[in-house]
Amino acid sequence: MKQAFLKRLYLTFAAMFCIATANAQVSFTAEAPTIVTLDDYFRIEFTVDAQPDNGSFRAPSFEGFDIVAGPSTSTGHSIQYINGRQSSSFSCTYTYLLKPNSTGTHTIAPASVAVDGKVYSTQPLLMEVVKEQNQSSGQSSAGNSNTNDPENSVKEEDVLLLLKLSDTEVYKGEPIHASLVLYTRTEIQDVSNWEMPSFEGFWSQELTTNSYPSRELYNGLVYDTHELKEYIISPQQSGKLQIDPVRLSIVVPVVIQNSRYIDPFMGGREVYYVTREIATPAQTVNVKEFPAGAPKSFAGAVGEFSMQCSMPEQSFAIHTSQAIELTIAGNGNLKFITAPELRLPESFELYEKKVTDNVKTSINGTSGNIVFTYPFVPRAAGEFTIEPIEFTYFDTESNSYKTLATDPMNISVVDDGSGSTHTQKADVDGYGRMKQLNRDIRYIHTDKLAEAAPMTLVLSPGYWLTIVVLIALFIVIYVIMRRRIRQNRNIVARRMKRADKIAVQRLRIAQSYMQQNNRHAFYEELLRAVWGYISDKFNIPVSNLTKETIREEFYRRNISATDAEEFCEVISRADEAQYTPSSDGDMNEIYTDAIDIISRIESAAK
Amino acid sequence: MRISIIRKLTAVALLLMSAPIATAADNRTEADSSWEKGIKAYADREYDQAVEEFEAVVERGFATADTYYNLANAYFKLGQTQSSASGTGFANGELGRAILNYQRALKMDPSMEDAAYNLDLAVDYTNDTESVPEGVISGVWTSVRDSFTSNTWTIVSLIALTLTLAHVLIYLLSHRVTLRKVAFFAAILLFIAFVLTTWLAISQRSSQESHDRAVVICNSTTAVHASPDSSSKIIREPSQGVTLTITRALGEWYEVMFADGEKGWIPSSYIERI
Repeated sequence: MKQAFLKRLYLTFAAMFCIATANAQVSFTAEAPTIVTLDDYFRIEFTVDAQPDNGSFRAPSFEGFDIVAGPSTSTGHSIQYINGRQSSSFSCTYTYLLKPNSTGTHTIAPASVAVDGKVYSTQPLLMEVVKEQNQSSGQSSAGNSNTNDPENSVKEEDVLLLLKLSDTEVYKGEPIHASLVLYTRTEIQDVSNWEMPSFEGFWSQELTTNSYPSRELYNGLVYDTHELKEYIISPQQSGKLQIDPVRLSIVVPVVIQNSRYIDPFMGGREVYYVTREIATPAQTVNVKEFPAGAPKSFAGAVGEFSMQCSMPEQSFAIHTSQAIELTIAGNGNLKFITAPELRLPESFELYEKKVTDNVKTSINGTSGNIVFTYPFVPRAAGEFTIEPIEFTYFDTESNSYKTLATDPMNISVVDDGSGSTHTQKADVDGYGRMKQLNRDIRYIHTDKLAEAAPMTLVLSPGYWLTIVVLIALFIVIYVIMRRRIRQNRNIVARRMKRADKIAVQRLRIAQSYMQQNNRHAFYEELLRAVWGYISDKFNIPVSNLTKETIREEFYRRNISATDAEEFCEVISRADEAQYTPSSDGDMNEIYTDAIDIISRIESAAK
Repeated sequence: MRISIIRKLTAVALLLMSAPIATAADNRTEADSSWEKGIKAYADREYDQAVEEFEAVVERGFATADTYYNLANAYFKLGQTQSSASGTGFANGELGRAILNYQRALKMDPSMEDAAYNLDLAVDYTNDTESVPEGVISGVWTSVRDSFTSNTWTIVSLIALTLTLAHVLIYLLSHRVTLRKVAFFAAILLFIAFVLTTWLAISQRSSQESHDRAVVICNSTTAVHASPDSSSKIIREPSQGVTLTITRALGEWYEVMFADGEKGWIPSSYIERI
């Protein structure tokens, strides 16, 4: 029961495997070194990653090569379980050992193989067969030397270090691709004691290298090459720049046949490790001066660029912080581009620029974009035109200067009255000072130059003089006023004293009119006498005299109300009688009443 | 013969008399031209030129509050533009000189609001955060005092005196009892006002005439030592623009007091009196 289950499981797996292999894309590749010497024996391998049909492999005719051995077939099969998933690989390799029989470029024609009846063939391979110049040393030094001194067995030309430059005649700022390549004709155990290139006078950036080892013909010898480092460098000054040698130590294993002691098992071979110091030859790069006639806006940009300018708004409030963004994109020495000059109208305050770059360095140099932000604050309202921003670069393709310019921008600054209290801050970070963008010193005073500072007045002679004058003035005014008041008082007193006498005089005149029976004149003179008496006695101006003021004045001076009433009655009777015809007795009566009341007031007011 | 001598003498006398007048007038016109050039240079953002011109105006004797204010602005802008160009702000002590000249302008005219504002802003640029709060009463007193110049206070005090005397006159001469009462109290109040304003004027004058305060103008490390000796212990390293009070002088050294009351000695070349 259990066995049957296992069997079924196995069958299921087998079936799945078959499906997997059937579905997989079959690849059939040929692999051989690209360069061989005439004396080299080399292997060519044809690998198919599926089970080929029996006997279906057809080898090409190796024209120009002699088959030394082969084909030998080897198969490999592996099954992997990872996290419960199964994956399998199968490979079948046909190997030939070949030896070239003539120099030149030979093509190895495609080989073919059938998998499940379907025929696959390899790409044709191009192979270069060369004849090394120094054959004897080249061959003998290939790691298997017969000499007993291991130090001598590694020849100078067996290991080379080269710094390959893409160009040695460049303009300042033009990127150069530099690769550090190790050339070997022998096995290498270790590479140590790196001394990194300094690239003095250059800006440099290392690139991530992911190249495969290959073979190359150099100085008539075939080398295995390994690219160790890759850089993009660009010269920062003109003239002849020397690149210092790059040094490193390598360890080469040397197998020596020991003649004295022959190990029956290991064949009497001994491995020595030989350390070699190698260095790149010194190289110079000729950095050319830029041709004459550079535009004013040229500041060393080299490459190929485009420019774009953006303005957040066309219209904004006075005293608010704004920013113009200028983007320069392209390929070249982007990192060294200085911000193009932005000329703003006079009333604009320009602040520190902010630079953001988004630059990638690749084998072709640096590319990407760089953004310049120009923050500014308009200090005056109105319509303004911002002049075009110019940017010039040197185009290495056409060896000429090219100038880019933005369009002139029209902006309007509006004074909405809220400007000074506007608290909008510039969103520029990284600059502490930018926080005070809305705060700057006030403008200078442009009025006419004032006289030199006036002298201080306090405690000066003039000050004391002023105080003395004021006090003197005070005393003078006081004295004068005092005297005038006293005089006034005297006049009043005299008038008061003389009041009854004047009244008596007037009454006497009235009496004479009475005797003449001139009624009108009598009453007129009588009233004048009475009014005049009151006016003089109580110091009331004639114009202010009414019955009410008289009553008030009598009351104030403690004269009895009956007297007041009597006095008023005399006046009203006289007023009435003046214009009405009446008997003589009235005149007499009123005359005596007037004398009577005046004498009574005179005695009461004493 | 005699007449000609007299003539010559009068001519010489006239020349001698007119010479100072002429030079004064020349001085005025030259100061005016420097002033205009300075304003223009400032507008054109040629601040080094503006500094030169305003300094020339001061040298010609027109050291008004406005001149000091403009000079301070030019120094400040000069340092500021350099800082945006090179990243190192106020490298040659421009900030210290700006603050010095704002203080001088305020000393001339303590009521100059623009100078007070700009000084406040310039002080923000110094690393000096150690401001000691003034007492409430003395703070109110100084702020009231500084709202006018000494001369304004003097004029106000003289007006108060005149009004006091006028009210005393009314009190002395009037018959009306109520008028006399009002005049009496008014006279007392006005007299108090007179005393107070006179005091303010005198206080303002003495603060204007004192040269005890100084500003650090040197940009390199200024060291304040414990004693007038460069090998003595360093107490503090004030940055440019810090205002100090000079308490005494000894040779090339000044004893200075910081706002918080700490005292030390500083070489006289590092600071400048306001």
